[in-house]
Amino acid sequence: MTHAQTQPATPVIPLPPRAAHLTTLTGATLTLATTFLAWTWTTTFPGNLTINGYPGGLQTITLTGATLTLLYATTALAPPRLQRLLAPAGTTPPTLLLALGTFAATWYTLAAITLDLGGLVNLEPGGYAAGAASLLTLTGALALPNTAPTTTETTRRTPWQRLRHSLTPGPPPPPPRTLPTWAETLTIAAAFALGLLLLTYGIDTDYGELFTGYLILTATGLAALHRAGLTTRLNHLTTKHRTTTLTAAFTAAACFPLTQTNDTYTNLATSILVFATVALGLNVVVGLAGLLDLGYVAFLGVGAYTAALVSGSPESALHARFPFWAAVLTGIAASLLFGILIGAPTLRLRGDYLAIVTLGFGEIFRITMTNLNGKTGPDITNGAMGIPNIPELNILGFNFGTTHHLLGIPIGRFGNYYLLMLLATLTVVLVFRRATDSRTGRAWIAIREDETAATAMGINAFRLKLLAFALGAALAGLAGTIHAHVITTATPDQYQFAGTVPPNSAFLLAAVILGGMGTITGPLLGAALLYLIPSKLDFMQDYQLLLFGLALILLMRFRPEGLVVDRRKQLEFHEPETPTAKAPTP
Amino acid sequence: MTPNPAPPLLHATGITMRFGGLTAVRAVDLTVHPDEILGLIGPNGAGKTTLFNCLTGLYTPDEGTITYAGKPLPTRPHLVTRIGIARTFQNIRLFPNMTVLENVLVGRHTRTHEGLLSALLRTPAHHRAEHTSRQHATELLEFTGLTRKSDHLARNLPYGEQRKLEIARALASEPGLLLLDEPTAGMNPQETRATEHLVHAIRARGTAVLVIEHDMRFIFNLCDRVAVLVQGQKLTEGTPTTVQADPRVIAAYLGTPEEDPR
Amino acid sequence: MHQLPQQLANGIILGAMYGLIAIGYTMVYGIVQLINFAHGEIFMIGGFGALTVHLALPAATPLLLALPLMIAGGITAAVAIAVTAERFAYRPLRGAPRLAPLITAIGLSIALQQAVWKWYPDAKKARVFPQFTGDSLHLLGATVQRGELFLLIAAPLCMTALGLFVSRTRTGRGMQATAQDPDTARLMGIDTDRIIVIAFTIGAAFAAVAAVAHGLKYGQVDFRMGFITGLKAFTAAVLGGIGNIYGAMLGGLVLGIAEALATGYIDHIPGMAQFGGGSWKDVWAFVLLILVLLLRPQGLLGERVADRA
Repeated sequence: MTHAQTQPATPVIPLPPRAAHLTTLTGATLTLATTFLAWTWTTTFPGNLTINGYPGGLQTITLTGATLTLLYATTALAPPRLQRLLAPAGTTPPTLLLALGTFAATWYTLAAITLDLGGLVNLEPGGYAAGAASLLTLTGALALPNTAPTTTETTRRTPWQRLRHSLTPGPPPPPPRTLPTWAETLTIAAAFALGLLLLTYGIDTDYGELFTGYLILTATGLAALHRAGLTTRLNHLTTKHRTTTLTAAFTAAACFPLTQTNDTYTNLATSILVFATVALGLNVVVGLAGLLDLGYVAFLGVGAYTAALVSGSPESALHARFPFWAAVLTGIAASLLFGILIGAPTLRLRGDYLAIVTLGFGEIFRITMTNLNGKTGPDITNGAMGIPNIPELNILGFNFGTTHHLLGIPIGRFGNYYLLMLLATLTVVLVFRRATDSRTGRAWIAIREDETAATAMGINAFRLKLLAFALGAALAGLAGTIHAHVITTATPDQYQFAGTVPPNSAFLLAAVILGGMGTITGPLLGAALLYLIPSKLDFMQDYQLLLFGLALILLMRFRPEGLVVDRRKQLEFHEPETPTAKAPTP
Repeated sequence: MTPNPAPPLLHATGITMRFGGLTAVRAVDLTVHPDEILGLIGPNGAGKTTLFNCLTGLYTPDEGTITYAGKPLPTRPHLVTRIGIARTFQNIRLFPNMTVLENVLVGRHTRTHEGLLSALLRTPAHHRAEHTSRQHATELLEFTGLTRKSDHLARNLPYGEQRKLEIARALASEPGLLLLDEPTAGMNPQETRATEHLVHAIRARGTAVLVIEHDMRFIFNLCDRVAVLVQGQKLTEGTPTTVQADPRVIAAYLGTPEEDPR
Repeated sequence: MHQLPQQLANGIILGAMYGLIAIGYTMVYGIVQLINFAHGEIFMIGGFGALTVHLALPAATPLLLALPLMIAGGITAAVAIAVTAERFAYRPLRGAPRLAPLITAIGLSIALQQAVWKWYPDAKKARVFPQFTGDSLHLLGATVQRGELFLLIAAPLCMTALGLFVSRTRTGRGMQATAQDPDTARLMGIDTDRIIVIAFTIGAAFAAVAAVAHGLKYGQVDFRMGFITGLKAFTAAVLGGIGNIYGAMLGGLVLGIAEALATGYIDHIPGMAQFGGGSWKDVWAFVLLILVLLLRPQGLLGERVADRA
């Protein structure tokens, strides 16, 4: 009888383990070194990769990737305690992913140089060296043994199966020793500080190529951390200390304007916040209650137009200037009212019909706003021109239009609005969290799961759906009032079903679904991605919407539960791992 | 058993339900007394579940009247639950991606009142109400033997426990009458016996039970009275012994024996 | 009120177009319970397909002669896209929760619009579609353009053909069976996959015919023409009773006439002077939809179906 332990599976490239480790380590070190060389001879390619000794632009991406790969490759040979710290679920998957990411980023850079400048001749020897070194690292990583348990027989597996196995994390590690609270708080704070750094870097990228490289490495890097088991650890901590997590997240976010020297990117960040907040509001409607609202952006528009009308803008038909708090309340009330008006007749309908009707309402809103221009309707909204020149906010003497200084760092107009918007986001997050974890939230989820059963439990489905719908509308209205002030205009074309510039209903829905329905971080992350990617990669201008449509199709096909997994959703879309006993047919 | 002298809890007369050209239920009278366990049997397709759906407001019968505790039955299902009728479903309809505890908490929805505003403000009243609800729910899980699984997703439960969870969830609304639709379908004998005990215990707590079943031993051991539904009409009604011996009931299930060729 | 015959004529013609497109929505929804969001784009692609054929033919070809070929071209293009979409985008998601195919449909709709915008030559603006020259005809007090005649002939033809197909052929009856109970239909040996493909095909073909009619009437095709028209056609399908093909055409006619009357007469109602006219017609169409869903959710020809819980 042979011993029960099966042999570890062969990796994609069969090499003895020592050789594999050596190759990986050497490769990573070399890759690191090559980032100090010049990769091209001209500064036409952005980032200045021409100087020996000073990594620039995309070279820093490769540098980071190589360092991390080196770190994880070394961890494999480190004492077990260090391994458990950095890679509790196994060292091979993260190393492989990081090597892959570095390789992809490096070769992307080289390809970009070649294509942008028109020929391989533009690559310096340093570039070739980088390409070779990253390839070497990848080769070594592909040969690393993985100790994860195998589910299929180990003999004669295809290279693809072997690759997948190399990426499989090991069994969930035993829970770590509980650290004292201060240490756990510090960990959470550090994690969010790191997150802020990462996000800031992404937002601050000047040119599309750098953003692409950044995206490649960040995606593989986060995947690597996930397979290493570190994200699960972080999850434990954040679930345990929810309030601390929330504080840390918002403190980190609030520090963003402090990292900026000028207002350009803060503008971008503010727009992301608006988009993210609205997505979170939609998450209440779609993610919690399961109501398919395809015209959600109209509520944002109602809030924005209301705020514009009472803002004291000279083009406003209502010559009124409300103080900000009143404008916000009016905006919320208006959206709430419209939510109820639209929801009351339509929420009794089947889900599919609701989708079409809400889509119709979104269009009606846009058309109506365009038509109330004095010619085809009473002049309330100034038609297609919209209501421009919304004056700057002035709350208790604090003028949002002027630059103020905090700790010596100038915070300009967009910085001010950013912080205001952040408060709104915080409100929405709190509302979301508290609503989910309550009798109402449970009723919403029950309705989403099985409406008939929910009514049999005494839930008045119509009333609760209306509540979700109205709450979602109100939250969008809140975001809308601030949005109007940020961009100083309200025009009908900003509120379409689908268009190149978010927010629009299709993008919002995509953000919620891409990010992960029903979660808090999901829509925020989805919104950030969906806003950043089109705005950074503007060499893809023409293809943006096309790729967006294709991305939706692929997403639904391969990962419908989205990025941030609500553990519920993943089970809904994929086969459960533990087979449940099925009722034998009577 | 002596006839129950108390006024009826559920009183349905002349229930008729049609779907297009098909009459699923025809002029059925049904009465359930407090603290009674009434069984409803009949071949498949006899209209038993349809009758249940009429009794819980899911369908509005085309003819007939239903009263519960003396008052007419509301027409909307959630209101029916509120006045005290709860049910389980023939094909289990749990909330698959909620935990066992959450499923039962949802069952308590109609007996709790804290709204969205109190949840958003996290008032002390809200905390108290949540705490009480959880206590109730935990107690029900103990009653049905599901305490160890309270944090498991309902979807991952084995079949027998899913059935128990459905019952626990239905009990959470503190019903006066519990409607069980084939609670032992697909169960092995031990599980069936356990369900019998559970239903006895439910009656002991003061809830009347109306149960659809095919398992004759279960019906015999459990029910005070049995009603037989065949092709939408009530054939007969009486004690289990009487009904079991009735030749018409046997014929309904087994068919009439062939005419003796002579 | 002297305009009435004209408005009615306009409405019927518009409505017939909606009806043909609505057939596609209603057939697919009736069988797989999917709102094929991309159907409006199938309509649009049908139009472009017809245009391509027209451009490929020698310039001097009389339109009447070219028309059958254009229709064939439009149908080919529309059916090709529809069938591919069914096979690769929708079929893998058959068992998935409702949201997944709907989102896929939205993505497909956007992708198709953008693909045409980007890759069809000069499609960033509307492209000219050939029209019949010659005098309009006067029928029963209304003026009808020659191009509009096409639809008045084609729509009844299509409906008759479809009606015969569904009631007289084996496949047609199989389609009815699948719409009522797909599982049983499969157990009885009906190839439900094939039925679904056929439903998509017929829907796409009819939409292509409608697109040719649209082109002949308005003289142009535009990559965005599917969006609002598609939405209204779905409204028509719901109006008539979703799943019912005669309902789809009836709903289309009702919607078309309502739209025409609204455009013509709303501004005569005191107080509503500014709400008539073309800019508001889409709004009135949606208002009609909402009213129907409130008052008679099963539509004009639909039946209440019991939910056998």
